[in-house]
Amino acid sequence: MLYRTAGQYKTTYRADQGLFPIKQDAFLLGLILVFAWVVFPFTATEFTFQTLLTPILIYSLAALGLNILTGYAGQLSLGTGAFMGVGAYACYKLVTLMPWMNPIIAILLSGVFSAGVGVAFGIPSLRIKGFYLAIATLAAQFFLVWLFEKWSWLYNDNASGAIQVPNLEIFGIYVSGPQAASVTQYYLVLAIVTLLTWVTINLTRGNLGRTWKATRDMDIAAELIGINLMRSKLTAFAISSYIVGVSGALFVFMWRGAAEPNLFDIPLSFRVLFIAIIGGLGSILGNYLGAILIVGLPVLLGTLPSALGIQVESALIEHLNTMIVGSLIIFFLIIEPHGLAQLWRLIREKLIIWPFPH
Amino acid sequence: MKTWQELAMATAVGLVLGGAALAEGIYTPNLAYRTGPFAATGTPIMDGQKDYMALLNARDGGIGGVAINFEECETGYSTEKGVECYERTKADAVVTQPWSTGITLQVLPKTNVDKIPILAPGYGFSPMSDGAVFQWAFNPPASYWDGASMILNEISGGDPASLKGKKIVLLHLDHPFGKEPIPLLETMAKEYGFDLVLVPVGLKEMQNQSAQWLQIRRERPDFVIMWGWGAMNAAAINEAVKTKYPMDQFVGVWWAGHDADLKQVGEAGKGYRSISWSMPQPDAPIMADLKQYVYDKGNSTAEDPDSVFYQRGLVISMMLAEGIRTAQQHFDVGEITPEQLRWGLENLDISDERLAELGMTGMVPPFKTSCDNHTGHSGGWMLEWDGTRFVQSSDLLQADASFIRPLEVKAAEEYAAENQPWPINEDCK
Repeated sequence: MLYRTAGQYKTTYRADQGLFPIKQDAFLLGLILVFAWVVFPFTATEFTFQTLLTPILIYSLAALGLNILTGYAGQLSLGTGAFMGVGAYACYKLVTLMPWMNPIIAILLSGVFSAGVGVAFGIPSLRIKGFYLAIATLAAQFFLVWLFEKWSWLYNDNASGAIQVPNLEIFGIYVSGPQAASVTQYYLVLAIVTLLTWVTINLTRGNLGRTWKATRDMDIAAELIGINLMRSKLTAFAISSYIVGVSGALFVFMWRGAAEPNLFDIPLSFRVLFIAIIGGLGSILGNYLGAILIVGLPVLLGTLPSALGIQVESALIEHLNTMIVGSLIIFFLIIEPHGLAQLWRLIREKLIIWPFPH
Repeated sequence: MKTWQELAMATAVGLVLGGAALAEGIYTPNLAYRTGPFAATGTPIMDGQKDYMALLNARDGGIGGVAINFEECETGYSTEKGVECYERTKADAVVTQPWSTGITLQVLPKTNVDKIPILAPGYGFSPMSDGAVFQWAFNPPASYWDGASMILNEISGGDPASLKGKKIVLLHLDHPFGKEPIPLLETMAKEYGFDLVLVPVGLKEMQNQSAQWLQIRRERPDFVIMWGWGAMNAAAINEAVKTKYPMDQFVGVWWAGHDADLKQVGEAGKGYRSISWSMPQPDAPIMADLKQYVYDKGNSTAEDPDSVFYQRGLVISMMLAEGIRTAQQHFDVGEITPEQLRWGLENLDISDERLAELGMTGMVPPFKTSCDNHTGHSGGWMLEWDGTRFVQSSDLLQADASFIRPLEVKAAEEYAAENQPWPINEDCK
């Protein structure tokens, strides 16, 4: 009904291979973009910006980066948090050493540093696979967090060992630090996330993406058909770490405002990994769905009791929240082990053939 | 994509919520942590804070006739949740009680914009004492630097110069909180010629400190000063007992003086000391009132009302309540605004007479805050574990202001410089 494809003829292969083979998909995406770019910014409160919109976007971006590596190229990584940290610390050093630098450039540049670190820690992936590689990335995780703690140059010898985001402006408008308005930061995050998502969609659909998928599905076969595994794996590490690094810089500069080293510890890596897994490995949409479930839902659940006028102990809400979100994760993984993106894919398929199921 | 639409709906719900927190009385949210890794130490303090406000509401109908809407927002000591709570409560709140150094660090730069005072009693950033720079932040009655200086005064028998050539280990959590005393201790080590050895405990190693204690045994320090919190304290005290480190040379900050941590070692912990700006007074008149108005009505979840941490919670809420009262009297209004509370906290006068009126004599040393002194520098007492409970083991100790004040001013200046534009209250200087 909603997804009727009748009348949408494709006359060329090109049209058949398009990003939106069905018009409704393009329409839906347009609707989401209108919501994200116009409706939310004009209606959202400070609370919504700070606890829902901005963090969901930033976590989605981190998961997107991880998804390139794990979902598309098949290299399991447990070091996402640390790579986000590299991006954040690189951005901090860039803006404090060169205060004249445009903050957006600094954020985009900071990804380069984490890409470099990512490639360095990705080199073992040429020899080791699967769980063994996961352990190697775990080593990166521990090492980098240790470095953030011990190398005081990174946090400008601040006595508390934390980095604090300065007030930065572009054309007289504050974009980071306490003086920045949430809506400005939201737009900036949204622009970068939109841009990187667009780039990623194109990358994964193109030659490079196919190389990654071949590497993931069977590396020996991939090598036999002439794919250079080293190139494939290292580009995956580089691009993935770049995106993760940018998300780390956004995480601290556009949202948190301050960070201590242990913020980038394993719990963050796992959180991003869960978003990618629950959203769906090897999908772009999944990252957003996963972030909404893992980052957004607990916040919404937390506001529910007071919205309904029920007086509940705050600690109890927190316990209930953990239980509800936990059981939802299990529920979703049981009904669809391939994640929320796959769930949506099935729903969409059913809608297309409705009302005549096979 | 259904989920996106749900998000849109949910956002609409969120919009309504954002501004609809209960608006009865004076709203004083507390970013509590009764869950998570620090719950054991957090819960008694939160109970104390809550019960004090419950007492005021039940006995006096609030403060100045206006009810206090004291609400907890659970953070589990997580910075992320803390920021969520801050955003959720800031529309109506007259005060922010951040309760974690991480959350304080995040909220502190926003204070000039949001104009809500931060009340961080006995924690947070020591230079917050410089009220000209940190106009919106308060850490009465004593800062971490005060604590470190008081500890040195006590262990040196009142003359820090006698520490010359001695070796002091600072066993600290490797986290902004644990690093707080380092600048002051380093300055003092230089001045008095003692040897300062830093032994950090990572957040992941809190419960297993065998490596740190091995190092301490090797170093053979004359004193161990502990800047610990949560699970770290219990583990450190256990290790100290196990390695037979002399307990009378082991001194903790006020957050390392939790009854439950020492009860588990009992007699073996005898002699362990903790500096404190609060002291439990089981016979204080306020405890009788609490029993009559709160406990007997079944409105309290407190387990041990005589413990150090619970009674410290009472003192913390007392400081907030006195801030509100001072503001109400000065501005002659009932429902005060955050700006008015800021004035109130800046002009606190907790005198002995006032403490007697409150029925809290001896629970906290008298102190006064002012425009350029947001801490009050009340001084504190050394509490000593006698095998079953903490007892007072020193007279009122004072911090060495001649060291601390220049450091505070310098650190505050640096902070302001890093966070340009940062308004400075010139009237204060």
